[in-house]
Amino acid sequence: MMDIVTTGLMTHLESRQIGSRFSRGEGGEYYLRVPGDGIIEAAGWLANREDLALIGIWAVPGHEKDCLELYYAFELKQPSPALVMIAEVKNNQAPSIYKIFPAAINFERRARDWYGLDFTSLPDTRRLLLHEAYPADFHPMVDSDPETLSSNLATTEYSFKKFEGEGLYQVPVGPVHAGIIEPGHFRFSVIGETIFNLELRLGYKHRGLNKLAEGKTVAEVNKLSESISGDESAVNACSFSLAVEKIAGAELPKRAWELRTILLEMERLYSHLGDLAGMLVDVGYPIGASPFFILREEIMRWNATFTGSRFLKGAIIPGGLSRDIEDGMLQKFKFFLVTFSRRMRKALSDVDESAWVIDRFETTGIVSPELVAPLSLSGPVARASGYDGDTRQLHTYGVYTGLKYTIPVKTSGDVLARFRVKAEEAASSIDIISETIARCSPGPVFSGFDPGSGQAIAMLEAPRGRNIHWLRVKNGTVEHWEVITASFCNWPAIEHAVINNILPDFPVINKSFNLSYAGNDL
Amino acid sequence: MVVVVIMTVIYYLLNPLFILLISPLFMGIIKKIKAMAQGRTGAPVWQPYFTLHKLFKKEIIYSDNSSFIMKVAPYLNIGFTIGAATLVPVLFLPPEGSVPANIILFLYLLVSAKFFMALAGLDAGSVFGGMGSSREMSLSAIAEPITIITFAAIAFVLNTTDITQMFATTASNSLTEFPTLLLTGVSLFIILIIETARVPVDNPETHLELTMVHEAMIIEQSGPNLALMEISHAVKQTLLMAVLINLLFPLGMPDSFTFAGVALGMVSFAAKGSILCVIIAIFETSLAKIRFFRLPSFFMVALFLSFVTIVFELIL
Repeated sequence: MMDIVTTGLMTHLESRQIGSRFSRGEGGEYYLRVPGDGIIEAAGWLANREDLALIGIWAVPGHEKDCLELYYAFELKQPSPALVMIAEVKNNQAPSIYKIFPAAINFERRARDWYGLDFTSLPDTRRLLLHEAYPADFHPMVDSDPETLSSNLATTEYSFKKFEGEGLYQVPVGPVHAGIIEPGHFRFSVIGETIFNLELRLGYKHRGLNKLAEGKTVAEVNKLSESISGDESAVNACSFSLAVEKIAGAELPKRAWELRTILLEMERLYSHLGDLAGMLVDVGYPIGASPFFILREEIMRWNATFTGSRFLKGAIIPGGLSRDIEDGMLQKFKFFLVTFSRRMRKALSDVDESAWVIDRFETTGIVSPELVAPLSLSGPVARASGYDGDTRQLHTYGVYTGLKYTIPVKTSGDVLARFRVKAEEAASSIDIISETIARCSPGPVFSGFDPGSGQAIAMLEAPRGRNIHWLRVKNGTVEHWEVITASFCNWPAIEHAVINNILPDFPVINKSFNLSYAGNDL
Repeated sequence: MVVVVIMTVIYYLLNPLFILLISPLFMGIIKKIKAMAQGRTGAPVWQPYFTLHKLFKKEIIYSDNSSFIMKVAPYLNIGFTIGAATLVPVLFLPPEGSVPANIILFLYLLVSAKFFMALAGLDAGSVFGGMGSSREMSLSAIAEPITIITFAAIAFVLNTTDITQMFATTASNSLTEFPTLLLTGVSLFIILIIETARVPVDNPETHLELTMVHEAMIIEQSGPNLALMEISHAVKQTLLMAVLINLLFPLGMPDSFTFAGVALGMVSFAAKGSILCVIIAIFETSLAKIRFFRLPSFFMVALFLSFVTIVFELIL
């Protein structure tokens, strides 16, 4: 059974004499193999469909030399999570689809960095993740010989967009910031205090995770996935494990998924609480922020109690969980959440009563709803701008199917909307945790499996949005692993959100997104 | 005559010295109260002294782009501020006419200090220093007329522009004689908040590159130079606090020098200053930072109250 989009695309390609081959992945996703010269035609047809978003482009070495396979992943509505179009390209030449899907530009730049692929007519050919310290022709995914690293360093300086005019000046911020935060460079072009343009430069935390994963066992790569982004360890481990389990066809005990759900929601809860506190600190209201800091800390201590790690590391493994959580402990936590939820509501109503805070949040840093589709935004950022979508509901997994919870959607797209979305999501996470604990079933939390071979895509809703892991495994070793975190697509939204805001408001705008640098840089 | 000279000399020695010594304590108290309001323990109130001690031991680093301005600015800054500190009696009132404690002189000594601080901010050529200086100067341009009107209103109410005489008048009369001083007291408090870079105008806690004003100006300062800038900032706060305290609550201010009187003056000023610090801290914690371009509307409250004071005095 194919869906309407895939059959429609196949029919269309057939009418243009372009052959395509359909297959189904282990994760339920559809693969459609098209020839390299059919990419534009296919993308053009897909662009006219409103129920579809480009969620990733990545390259995989082809079967022959000088041959690359380009994967274009589109998120579908039911029944399949995604349609992945595969096109084989030769001689490092590929057409760019940025005119059809603007979100493609950064994916293509990333593939260009990693494979040396030349995308014709790509408007921005600067390197995205690799910095000047890497040789100009160094492409880690095709040739990672350290010998080439020591010579032939790229000397050309990264050029930011130039803006000139009366009273216009540039403010460089970062990569080292005044605070314990991740590195990233922000180049502001400012007139007086008003931001005229912002250009981001990330990549300072590029560790080459997907290269590291090649040839490693799934257990080893699971550890890597936990270090994609410190505060998204659980969701990344879970996405990776899910992809492995789909390939292996492993059936997990119910309790494993119930406990995973609890951990995933705890992660969302403490992330959002940290964001709420951060936004208040950035408008100079620390007294409003401190209750949220305290609440966050308490959840992190529960994290440590449950898993031994404040950041939930080492808990979720392919096949289930590395260790069980005692029922008594869960009941205690559920009881604790009753007062916790009351304290959180109190802290939120205190913030609502401060006209000064609301005044700073309102109309600041607006992401207009029209940006959601072209930039493939997801998560709280998109939901604060009117996007009614959440992977937990769109492509439900684990035990989310049977749970009742609300997914808040706001339309104003400003800092206040993001603040409220995150606050309401935190509240709904508490509900999910309580309900899951109440119906928690007894039994084992791990089931052994044979990793096998195959490829699968796994999509989960991370605190920051759509989290995608695509995996190809051969006899238990990882052949290729591709990660697309929500931060990767959401970062460019900041460049749009800050325009015409004033410089002193940037920190609170940035905090209201609170995207991951490490998760973007991989 | 000899007594007057001796008392004047003692005043010139003791008054600035006491202000210099007590200013970091007031900073520490405000920080402590703010920390407690946020549910933190906070650093001890003596922390600013330790910080200054540490800074005085460190080396000074000058940016390659900086000129002699960077080297002289901290000294000029502290010099002007100490100069201003001789004009505001806090321990006892100096003999009449012995100190040129003109209110205009006082204000412009503080402005001169600020001028050199802003100049140093620009001198190093870093974007943040320049940004801080430009912001500080824009705010000052708006705040200056308000400050002038407020002090004019006070001078109008008390019929003098001499700070010593102002304090003498308020010390020998009950506040009920000058009820309009309460209105200017509010204006003075707002000026205190503006001039000491506190919430909602600026956030003294943050070193967030893009939002800061005062901290951006002194971002290129290091070591003893930074310590001087910090002391100068603390002294400025104490001076403005002293004006507010001695106009509204002059109780315990001796009108001439005696050992017992000065001791009492120290204790009472420290006590009243600490109470005012608590009020400042509570005021700060209960507000968020205002949007930068909405600051003038906050300043206007002070302007309005000062105008009302003048109008009342004219009519009544």
